[in-house]
Amino acid sequence: MADTGDYLLYFSIAVSAVALAGLLLKELRNNDILSKFISPLIFLTTGILAFLYLLLTYYFIAGNFIYEYVWQYSSRDLPLIYKISGVWAGQPGTYLLWVLVVFLSSAWLAFTTRHETALARRTQIITLLTGIFFIILTIIQTPFKTIYEGRPDLIGFIPPDGNGLNALLVNFWMIVHPPLMFIGYAAMTIPFAAAIVYLITKEDGWEELGRQWARFTWLFLGLGIAVGGVWAYLVLGWGGFWAWDPVETASFIPWLTLTGFLHAAALHRKNKATFSIAAPVLAAISFILVVYAAIVVRSGLFNSVHAFGETSTGTLLIILVVVTFIVTLLLGMRRYFEEPGKEEEEWGLWSKRNIFYISLLLFVILSFISLWGISFPAFIQLTQGLKVNVASDTKNFFNLWSYPFTIILLLALGFCLNYKESEKEEQKKILYAVTAITVIAMFARTENFYVLDHNSPFFTREPQIYKLLGSISLLSIFPPLIYAAYATIQRLMGYLRLGSTRPKVKGIGLAMVHFGVVLILFGAVISSSFTHSNDRINVPLSAKGELLDVGGGYGIKLIDYSTRSLTETTGSGAGSPGTRISSIKSDPASYVNNNVVVSGKVTGVAYTQSNTTPVTYTAYFELNDGTGSIWAATQSAEPITIPEGIDLTASGFIMADFTSPSTKTTYDLIVFSQPDGISETSTVSGSDKYRVQSAKLEVYQNNQKIASGTAEYLEGKDGGSGTFPMVSSGITGTDVYVIFQGVGGGFVPLTLKIIPAINFTWLGILLFAIGIILIMAMKTKSRGD
Amino acid sequence: MKTKKLLSIIVLVLILAIAYGTYTIAISDFTLSDGNNSYLGGITWNRSLDNGFQMAKEQNKPIVVYFWAVWCQYCAGFQANTLGNPEVKKILEEDYVLVAMDLDRDRDVARKYGVSYPPYVLFLDGNDNVLERVAGAVDAKTFLPIVTEVRDKFRRK
Repeated sequence: MADTGDYLLYFSIAVSAVALAGLLLKELRNNDILSKFISPLIFLTTGILAFLYLLLTYYFIAGNFIYEYVWQYSSRDLPLIYKISGVWAGQPGTYLLWVLVVFLSSAWLAFTTRHETALARRTQIITLLTGIFFIILTIIQTPFKTIYEGRPDLIGFIPPDGNGLNALLVNFWMIVHPPLMFIGYAAMTIPFAAAIVYLITKEDGWEELGRQWARFTWLFLGLGIAVGGVWAYLVLGWGGFWAWDPVETASFIPWLTLTGFLHAAALHRKNKATFSIAAPVLAAISFILVVYAAIVVRSGLFNSVHAFGETSTGTLLIILVVVTFIVTLLLGMRRYFEEPGKEEEEWGLWSKRNIFYISLLLFVILSFISLWGISFPAFIQLTQGLKVNVASDTKNFFNLWSYPFTIILLLALGFCLNYKESEKEEQKKILYAVTAITVIAMFARTENFYVLDHNSPFFTREPQIYKLLGSISLLSIFPPLIYAAYATIQRLMGYLRLGSTRPKVKGIGLAMVHFGVVLILFGAVISSSFTHSNDRINVPLSAKGELLDVGGGYGIKLIDYSTRSLTETTGSGAGSPGTRISSIKSDPASYVNNNVVVSGKVTGVAYTQSNTTPVTYTAYFELNDGTGSIWAATQSAEPITIPEGIDLTASGFIMADFTSPSTKTTYDLIVFSQPDGISETSTVSGSDKYRVQSAKLEVYQNNQKIASGTAEYLEGKDGGSGTFPMVSSGITGTDVYVIFQGVGGGFVPLTLKIIPAINFTWLGILLFAIGIILIMAMKTKSRGD
Repeated sequence: MKTKKLLSIIVLVLILAIAYGTYTIAISDFTLSDGNNSYLGGITWNRSLDNGFQMAKEQNKPIVVYFWAVWCQYCAGFQANTLGNPEVKKILEEDYVLVAMDLDRDRDVARKYGVSYPPYVLFLDGNDNVLERVAGAVDAKTFLPIVTEVRDKFRRK
């Protein structure tokens, strides 16, 4: 039983297929018969998909729980913003978002180029092919599947409420992280398409098209990863802002190769012969890796804390990766053998191009390490049925292999940004000196400041070679960091002296991005090496207001503890137990002569007593739950009093058109309840899906207050939970961080962390974002700045 | 051109060497589980709960079921410090039948016993009665008395 939504998805395939046919006719037969329809058809497809997206959002807001997807990820008591973000909580919705952004890019391409050039048309062909592929994926895992599908016995049943969002997803980060990621993923399509066209036809101008889109993707993907990092930083048990979990690593890999592409494109645009294969191949590979990241999340092969679980579309994604990879590889090889030796004169080891090439190779090595580290355990599991770990502690593998190449990359960064043909000999000497100091620093022996934590029980279980690499002193990161920072500032000075605005602003952007690298690495190394952690602190609830020494010179004072419902509805409205009164009123036929539970505030009362013996007393009371009001009644041999204004829950039998024998009042609907079927609605009512516990805290160091704030713990009824630590940032960049895990046995369990320098990382990410936006805004059409 | 080619070849060789080396190391040193057993915290665990019940009846021992996952940040520490603690390890290996359930594979078992997150330790007798539950990464100081007490209670019966 397909839904309207599904029909519209099929229709969108048909529409975009006609647009594709038009482009192919033009391309292969030079036939213009459909040409003037191409853009309108693309706009139409985009419009349909946008409509479908809004429709799904509407279903979430309206609580249309006959859709399995809506039922699974939404519920009535969620605040509006989480109903909207629930759309991207699961796979079907994210596919729809993905395909929508692909078509928005396609529409943008149609709008800006009007398909006037062969490059634009060919890029559009590949974009549309990709888009149609993703519509098919969306249809396979459609968000418009109703609960009746395959369950004819359920037909007619309308779930009163949804399952609700996992408590872990009920926070601000869930609102921003997925859209950023999926916009980034989808925007990767155009650089890929342009690169493939270039590899096939050597069409000029591809890098103009690809570069701007690549920067956009780089920004969104980067922000998505960073926001994911912030989220993980705030969630208990995710191992801090970066834990090399397969899913987070998988999204980092295309970002790395994309960074490589941006560097390759920077030289390629100045001289078409430079990186004429590396640049398009990196762009294409970045797209392939984005699809690979989707596989990591969706195939069920990768064991991750973040995985969506197994699905039917995994295989199709694998096919897409394999096909696009083979195509890219063959095209790249063809180009390579087509122009042997012709490419360029000897570069020389110390030429700018060569140092750039080394940087590209380093980006490739770094992405390979991450790719290999998440992939080969899955491969072994698939082929040999063994579960292996990449190292005694997973993160050790990635840290120790990435570290040396990161150091070399920083040195290359410093050298390139300082690069001046005339001062090359001078600069080589500086590089030699910095490299020498770095190498010496690697051997420095300190208490514990190494690539791998020597105090960790895992360190002793690592193999010899890992121990060796892991014993490189982290002091060795400072000379390259200082060198890179110095070079960036030098470079910035140069830009500031420029006369014209555009290259100047662009240069400032460039300097910001590179300075961001320095800050991020500094923050990452310092914060992960010098975090002071105090686990298992138990503050008795009775010790409220007392300063408790927790060791290490730190103390914690519990100021206050309170609980509340996530939805601040005071006993009425969406948070009330039972059926909403508006639902009964809108569809009385399905409720009459059935049992219901209603609750609300008592807004009217009337009492009657029978003139029979024994006397029966009847109390009529009107309940209002914010969505509507309904009368209810109960009888007893004793007089009953119902105070107005209290919150009551009544369960009983619904009757229509009931006339009171004594007052002759007619009620069109009334709920008859036994006296024991009426109870005061407790503040912690049964339908309260999300409860928040808050602990107001003060943290002391040597009896001096260093931080205060509130740590919260959100508990979902389904068992999920979310932590909202108290994070208090000092000006030195140090975070005082307290995780609260929910009261148990009269104790407030806390974890105290003092995390230094973490804010440098956030600042670096901010510089990344602002820098790339400046670069994008100052897009230069001509060759060379 | 020569420099570029040379650099590319060096990098290719380097990548292949890293790939081969890490692959071999992972299989030889860090196999967490194979067809029959899991190897966690320096202890060998049975992967089948049914086998566990059978062995428990034969040897008249209680069963420890340890729920873990590759991606679980706390499991690694729990295995190293709590399960790997020499005293704990000795009691576990001598007085219990040991079963490890992987939350990525044995979801049904986890659901049956209401286990929703790792690490989680369940103590059972051979007739599938739950003797004790330990949720979360407790330290050896907390875990050792539990392991001792459950064993002693089981023996008294």
